Amino acid sequence: MAEIAVGIDLGTSNTCVSMMQNGEVKVLENAFGERTSASVVHFHEDGSVEVGNSAKAKVIHAPAQTVRSAKRLIGRYHFSEEVKKAQAVYAYEIVEAPNHGVRIEIREEEFSLPEISAMVLREMKQIAERHAGDNVTQAVITVPAYFNDNQRQATKDAGRIAGLDVLRILNEPTAAALAYGFGMGLNQRVAVYDLGGGTFDISVLEIGKDIFEVLATCGDTFLGGDDLDDRIIDLLADDFVGKYKINPRNDPYAYEKLKLAAENAKKALSIDEETLVVIDEVMKSAEGETLGLERTITRSEFSQLTHDLIMRTFKVCDEALQQSDLTVRDLDGVILVGGPTRLPMIREAVAHYFQQEPRGDVDPDEVVSIGAAIHAASLVGEAPDSMLLDVTPLDLRIGVAGGLAEPVIERNTPVPIEQTRTFTTFQDHQESVQIRVYQGDHRQADENAMLGQFEFSGFSKGLRSDVKIDVTFEINADGIVKVTASDQATGQEASTQITLSSGLAEEQIERIIEQDVAGRVATGAKAESAAQKQIAPITINGDVPGATAAKVDFVEYSPFGDGKTDLSEGFDNDIKLGDVSEAELDLVDDDELIQLTQEADMDIGAEGITLEMPADQAPDDDDDGLFETSGGDLAGPQIQLTDEKK
Amino acid sequence: MNAAIDPLEISALVRIMDELDYYQLLNVDPKASTTDIRKAYHASSRSFHPDANRTLNEDLRGHCGNISKRITEAYCVLRDSRRRSAYDSKRAEGDSLRIKLADAKTSHTKQRKAQARGATPQGRQFHAKAESDLKAGNLAGAIQNLQMALTFEAGNVGFKALVAELRERRKASSERPS
Repeated sequence: MAEIAVGIDLGTSNTCVSMMQNGEVKVLENAFGERTSASVVHFHEDGSVEVGNSAKAKVIHAPAQTVRSAKRLIGRYHFSEEVKKAQAVYAYEIVEAPNHGVRIEIREEEFSLPEISAMVLREMKQIAERHAGDNVTQAVITVPAYFNDNQRQATKDAGRIAGLDVLRILNEPTAAALAYGFGMGLNQRVAVYDLGGGTFDISVLEIGKDIFEVLATCGDTFLGGDDLDDRIIDLLADDFVGKYKINPRNDPYAYEKLKLAAENAKKALSIDEETLVVIDEVMKSAEGETLGLERTITRSEFSQLTHDLIMRTFKVCDEALQQSDLTVRDLDGVILVGGPTRLPMIREAVAHYFQQEPRGDVDPDEVVSIGAAIHAASLVGEAPDSMLLDVTPLDLRIGVAGGLAEPVIERNTPVPIEQTRTFTTFQDHQESVQIRVYQGDHRQADENAMLGQFEFSGFSKGLRSDVKIDVTFEINADGIVKVTASDQATGQEASTQITLSSGLAEEQIERIIEQDVAGRVATGAKAESAAQKQIAPITINGDVPGATAAKVDFVEYSPFGDGKTDLSEGFDNDIKLGDVSEAELDLVDDDELIQLTQEADMDIGAEGITLEMPADQAPDDDDDGLFETSGGDLAGPQIQLTDEKK
Repeated sequence: MNAAIDPLEISALVRIMDELDYYQLLNVDPKASTTDIRKAYHASSRSFHPDANRTLNEDLRGHCGNISKRITEAYCVLRDSRRRSAYDSKRAEGDSLRIKLADAKTSHTKQRKAQARGATPQGRQFHAKAESDLKAGNLAGAIQNLQMALTFEAGNVGFKALVAELRERRKASSERPS
């Protein structure tokens, strides 16, 4: 009996499931004959759950009971920008859980994001089972390449809750490249331009027959087709305000109608030069009068409205090419992924940027799920092997003194990878140390995503800098991070070997699985007969990032000096890097000296800073990160000068 | 499956792994070209990458995982000229068989910063002016300075995106007086 493993592209707007059967990949249709289903979950009064395009149709009538774009929220903290934005535009209730988690409250029940996504995945599982005529329990699930550890972990949890053994969390662009090049014996360099509903990824790959090596991946998890829609919504809403002096954005029902109209207009503009938006009733006036809207939108108008968003994607492409040491001329092909890439204006912009026409032979909505299915089949031995060598999208960092975060594993480092750093205690007879782990491009710790923190204790006590603690950072092939601490002297492992996660604790996941939350998903065919189940309230007992005021410091062990200074006393930071290591001395080259002179001319931070400097004295860091590394730039050459005198 | 590798070989390799330098680990000559190093990384991945070993027992899979991580580390160092020369000098001194990735900066680190701020002195200068304009809330000034920056670096997509964004912002603020 052949093993069945499916590939699922769990998208922000739509989800697609594929399966390899008899050496052929098929996109599986749902009960209504549709090849993709809306990633929308509607909760009925009786507690049963409906998923897909029919659920999406309910948004207009019951926006508060209909959850869409859950992917924008999964693995995020309640205080994050994205969650605030979602609270402003979505009618469903988004509440805060302990541990800064996010829950969706519907009909007085709370659901975590992995549970919501699990419902979508359960629907896909059922679709696959209908086609396979058998149980389907194994899957490869794709995520945006730029997803961080929290988001990946939460997606994997969703798979488990849905009753799936997640064989691999695969990056969407990598899956697309596999679908494009599988079994073709290609020797090509390709770029995958993936503009989805809520995220943008660009990956540059080198394909050598059955080896798919990702050279670099960059992205923006705040940019997608939804943002294009938002520009049309704004246009329509401003028109409406101009006409009636009432803001339809404040009425959830009216907003949903505008959103739907915007989406349809966007799709129409993929085909037509212009489109007429007609909404008979956006909302009623205070006097009960029906207020409608009619507006023609042309392609060029739409293109102007979204020009800056499209430009943002090319800024990201620039980065990816630079990181892969390539220029657009080195690329043999450009693959488009995601519904929005059907828009002619995007195709044109992409062709212009890459100086070549994008490939026309891949379906941007299905290619990711097809790639995932190929990889799934290969993992269970049902398809010829292809090696996917992927990278981590973000710098993995550890929190150090001064509110800073030092990189341990740089972005675009291939995975799986492991790095160990040695730290030492900061005080005599210190009993514990706090380790905080971040992912992101910023030197300021706060501007990165915090993956988690843990306290390591129980190591041998001793004088400061005598105790050596190894902290090991691992990123596995799923892009999921694990951090462990151990005491060199005693070999004592961290009592808290944590899987860093802002989301659900293991016990919670097990409880949810036991309650079979995903089981509420009625199959499209028999939606009426779902039984109501009582769900116990969920209690949270995970780590609370940022909540503990750590008092204990420790420093990175350095053979070149103990690195202790009194500067960091009084800060509630945990780890302090020691003196700049020898390797760094060797590596400062002349280019950087030149850069120093130029930057000094420009008067960006007249003094060099060292890592021990408190945050409030560091050069101003801008939100856009343009100046984020000025401190580091200047610290290097400073050392170089000393070195030269020797 | 790929994993035609002998379990004994896996156990042996994991035992002596710490005594191998990156070249030995990838089974390449210390003078090997980047292309050869990449080929060696591919070949080793075929044997040891977690995707290639799903049929092995848990112990062996664990070993393969450890080897795979070390191979990746070796590749990360040897494929980058800057990292590789740092490693070579360390290795020549008999200092260490391994190097921390974060200690040896890649050739990209620098470029990344340069690109965001501009690649030419003039570009950087006008971009810096635009930045201070922005801080002072002078949107029009910032746009003007960025346009100047673009005359020196017409291809700088970062600048272009920023101009587009600022124009959008200016438009929005003029349309919605508040």
